[in-house]
Amino acid sequence: MGLINIKINGSSRSIDVDGDTPLLWVLRDNLGLTGTKFGCGIALCGACTVFVDDRPLRACSLPISALGESEVTTIEGVTGREAVAVQSAWVARDVPQCGYCQSGQVMSAIALLKEIRKPTDRDIDLALNGNLCRCATYVRIRAAIHDAARALEG
Amino acid sequence: MKVIGRVPESALSRRLVLAGTAAGVASLLVPVTLVSSDARPSQEQTTYDITDWITIAATGEVTLGLSQPEVGQGSYTVLPQILADELDVEWQRVKVRFVTGKEAYKIAFKNEAPAQKEGASMSTTALYERLRTAGAAAREALTRAAAEKWGIAVAQCRTEKGFVINAVGDRLSYGEIAPAAANLPLSARPRLKDPNQLALIGKPTARLDSQAKSIGRAVFGIDVSVPGMLNAAIRMAPCFTGAVVEIRNEAEILKRPGVHALVRIAAVDVANEEAGSQHPALTRPPRDNAVCVVADHFWQAKRAVEALDVVFDPGTGRDLSSAKIDALLQAALDGDAAVPVIEIGAPRQILRDKAASVIERRFVLPHIAHAPLEPVNATASYRDGAIEVWGSIQSVDACREAVATAVGCATDAVSVNVTFLGGSFGRKIVPDYVVQAVQASKAVGRPVKLIRTREEDTQHDVFRPNAGARIRAVLDEAGYPLAVHARVAGQSLFGATRKSWLDRTPEGSWDESMVDGIYNQSYRLPNFLVETVDTPLPIPVYFMRSVGSTAAVFFWESFISELASRARIDQYVYRRNLLTADPLALRVLDAVAQASNWMTPSEPDLFRGIAYNCYIGRGGRFKTYVAEVVELAPVDDKLKVNRVFCAVDPGLAVNPNTLAAQIEGGIGFAMTTALHSRITFSNGGADQSNFFDYPLLSIDEMPEVVPIVLPSDRPPQGFGEVVLAPLAPAVAQAVLQATGRRLDVMPFPDAVFRT
Repeated sequence: MGLINIKINGSSRSIDVDGDTPLLWVLRDNLGLTGTKFGCGIALCGACTVFVDDRPLRACSLPISALGESEVTTIEGVTGREAVAVQSAWVARDVPQCGYCQSGQVMSAIALLKEIRKPTDRDIDLALNGNLCRCATYVRIRAAIHDAARALEG
Repeated sequence: MKVIGRVPESALSRRLVLAGTAAGVASLLVPVTLVSSDARPSQEQTTYDITDWITIAATGEVTLGLSQPEVGQGSYTVLPQILADELDVEWQRVKVRFVTGKEAYKIAFKNEAPAQKEGASMSTTALYERLRTAGAAAREALTRAAAEKWGIAVAQCRTEKGFVINAVGDRLSYGEIAPAAANLPLSARPRLKDPNQLALIGKPTARLDSQAKSIGRAVFGIDVSVPGMLNAAIRMAPCFTGAVVEIRNEAEILKRPGVHALVRIAAVDVANEEAGSQHPALTRPPRDNAVCVVADHFWQAKRAVEALDVVFDPGTGRDLSSAKIDALLQAALDGDAAVPVIEIGAPRQILRDKAASVIERRFVLPHIAHAPLEPVNATASYRDGAIEVWGSIQSVDACREAVATAVGCATDAVSVNVTFLGGSFGRKIVPDYVVQAVQASKAVGRPVKLIRTREEDTQHDVFRPNAGARIRAVLDEAGYPLAVHARVAGQSLFGATRKSWLDRTPEGSWDESMVDGIYNQSYRLPNFLVETVDTPLPIPVYFMRSVGSTAAVFFWESFISELASRARIDQYVYRRNLLTADPLALRVLDAVAQASNWMTPSEPDLFRGIAYNCYIGRGGRFKTYVAEVVELAPVDDKLKVNRVFCAVDPGLAVNPNTLAAQIEGGIGFAMTTALHSRITFSNGGADQSNFFDYPLLSIDEMPEVVPIVLPSDRPPQGFGEVVLAPLAPAVAQAVLQATGRRLDVMPFPDAVFRT
């Protein structure tokens, strides 16, 4: 155990935690940021997707000691035009069913739209095929991403 | 914001309200009050219970009770929608909270004692009338209270969006008259709204939980936090009959940072129900089959569990393997012993006489796991014999009873708080994981949240049973079935978990779930024999979305495809000619054929399949008709299911928006089953452990879905499970078209899709 400083959602936090603890469990257990979900623990399902320096990463497989000076953004702290567009589209389309994977889906969709303004279906496939949804809300996820892209254009 | 789609204007304006006050509104969407500070009611206010379901505050704020767990199916929206319509309140302003503890919240699927639980596609169909009546009775009481206050006749009053209004235009808000209305007796048969007065029922209404679930604020079981709580991880004996023999490094584990305790957990097995109990019953065989580590944080507990040096005895089931399971199944399909389910005409005689022209197909399907994306977990607090649990729990009463039995207390001493469920599909009816958390809490004297890792969740699921079939037929001169003999074998779900649901005959008992969609279907079959054979196994099994029909309808519809193909008759026409006695069946079949342009020859590179099923609710409670057409086309170097047309007759669609979501998601769920899902067994336990060997469908594999919802005068029928079953046989038929290859196993081998 030892104090580790992390930059999270725009503020700095000091946490007493083992260095091998994955970012996911620091978020959930130490910081109470439970919007980021545990699904598989081995970076296969995407439920724990967060941004580390604006890049989407799986928080379950990133030891907190490896974070260094990087800034973490979670579903609770994500902001900006893309975030508004994606989350508005998600609500307008009623994308979620059980909703458990949706924080990760939303984060991956925001990351995609930051990278590619007007993603094709194939771009969506490539960017989101690591975000599993057992309810299979994929039809609406795809539609909502296209909606969000159009909203960002206009 | 430009919005595309079928969301109505009224829903959009509500959404803008939501967006403006995201934090405050999100907290209202959370059905537990202990979870976080902002989930508590912001201030105490005087409220009045008008019915079991409806509470009105003096301020006029209306809170609607939700008794059915929200697993993703949309109950959180659809059931309050029914109440709100009859009550006549502004939908934009209602609050929803999870309610429990009253008889009114209990439903029965078949012949068991009523319980508060979600399942069997029953929520809307079972509660529709009850909720309409409750809403209308409350509206009537409020109207009467207002009429008394004004000293006028009830007939001179009407309601409008939360107000009672009299002939001269005076208005009283529901909040003002709630105190008086709460003391009035409720009518058991209030006058329901006429269909043309309905404002919400039958309208595509926006989900109440989309906002919270899109911004990470919906609270699932795994997110629960209660004061003083510790966190636990668990390792269960890999063999289903296993037991803990020895922990060799207990002292070292206890020295690890953050670790509070190491707890041996008594086995909690799914077993047959006791008289009067809620399903599923759990037994506690006299053995410990798991070790759990309780620590400050989950990661500490998980690492400690990984470091455990524990010796398990595999027990009596150590020889269980997939090879043995399959051998048992094949022997059952070929053996002499079988229980007849139905026998019409003289099928045995005809099949014997025309042995040379018998067409036969065999099929085998594996056990599969539910794999909800939220692994099973629960939070429990055991204090002085009183137990409180929180979590993703699909059956409140099964949970209370299982916990009470496990710790030896009265059911009343157990209170259950239900959160949003991160998927369930039947899994979270079985509260084995809750009982484990309770044991851990009891051992350490503090609240404990116990989370199973993905690996533990997969390996210790309560699996959907395996199944196999052997179906034989001879055709008449026109190419239609003259005699059919279908035998289905496998581990009987009812035999393992619900013996009281077995159908008993002089020749033995049979399990309806094994032959759902075979014995009870509408095809014209003059000579027809259906049999089952139970092959009991020491594998924990339980209900999974669409239960036996995923297997049985695959067997049956694939066989019908075979017959049509042998008869050289179009697959749609063949089915149509066999269904002429069932107009509702024809309606969905025709609708899907029309929408998919079935009768127009397809492009050379497009291969199609069609399948039909009528999903009959448990205990004959409902009938939902479904027909699907799949389109298979080459994409890159593979054949891909590109598009699925799905026509349904669900009775009244209370909320066409959530119903369409169930069609889309149900097709995707069935795609996972058809393409990916298989649990194999060796050394008495499951082999698969995580998404690398038990994959789920990903977005690139998802087809476009075209829902076709037929209007109906029937009341709402069950829906959550109904669209799954026809998908696989339709895909198999399209594969047959494309490649000439017959698919007789699931998951379908990847190789058949390579071009």
